[in-house]
Amino acid sequence: MKPSFRLDQHPRRRPQPLSAPPTGYFEQLPTRVMAQVAAPPQPSWFAAWLRQAPASVRTGLASTLLLGTFAASLWLGAGPAPLATSLKDVPREELVDYLASEARLDLTDLAELPTSSLGITTRYLRPSAPELTSALDAQPADEAAL
Amino acid sequence: MEDHEIIRKFQDPASRNLAFNQLVRKYQQRVYWHVRKMVVDHADADDLTQDVFVKVWKHLGDFRQDAQLFTWIYRIATNECLGFLNSKRRKFFLPLNDVGAELAAKLEADPAVAGDEIELKLQKAILRLPDKQRLVFNLRYYDEMPYEQMAEVTGTSVGALKASYHHAVRKIEEYVTAADV
Repeated sequence: MKPSFRLDQHPRRRPQPLSAPPTGYFEQLPTRVMAQVAAPPQPSWFAAWLRQAPASVRTGLASTLLLGTFAASLWLGAGPAPLATSLKDVPREELVDYLASEARLDLTDLAELPTSSLGITTRYLRPSAPELTSALDAQPADEAAL
Repeated sequence: MEDHEIIRKFQDPASRNLAFNQLVRKYQQRVYWHVRKMVVDHADADDLTQDVFVKVWKHLGDFRQDAQLFTWIYRIATNECLGFLNSKRRKFFLPLNDVGAELAAKLEADPAVAGDEIELKLQKAILRLPDKQRLVFNLRYYDEMPYEQMAEVTGTSVGALKASYHHAVRKIEEYVTAADV
């Protein structure tokens, strides 16, 4: 019969037989621990207050902030006054000068005039009958066009 | 530096870092080996040792000096180890014995026990013990800690610790005898 193992008769290995940690481990460990516990940057008083504030206050503050942002974006996104209002303030002479010197109309602009506003040319240009006749006479006599 | 001096200097923000550095230097080896015996693997022991000291830093201000400083640190280390082993079981849905088997596999790869067959069997037998019983065994057998101090560390009565230790010894002897066939 095989003798049973007795712990008190077994030579005790102290410390427990486990391989040693890497060389220099215990020299570096305090530095690594200190790096973890070193004081983190102090948060601002507002952040600290916010962290302490009750949930209802924080929710209210967040709602107010959201509403404020929405109102500001609406106000800033309103843009300039309507064009009609602005043009009313411009003297007629300046408008004529601008149209004579800067505005360039092409056939596409004219072609895209809606049929409901055909009278606009008459209203704004106010041509006299002789002016119209001379303008038509000045057009080249193109058979294809006729 | 004496413990009471470390604690006194820790209370002063001007000397806090210096005092804590002294504390780590004084106790790092004992904490490391206490943890290492429980988790076997060096990388795990390294992480846990750092966690222990971070907790000591956080709570040293609340430390009541009616207990020894090292007993208190040992208790934190013990709780960290038990928590680590429990979370490992929960994470991988492992039964008790599988963590023991995993630790035993790590131990077999450890050159410190290579070639010593009976020592390897003894260490495997220790790893088969439930975590708390293994803790009691390590504290008594390897650290030769008095039962009264062990009671402070584990929060268990002296009588229960004695019974636990003797059960652990009996289980180990049975396992090594059976494995020796």
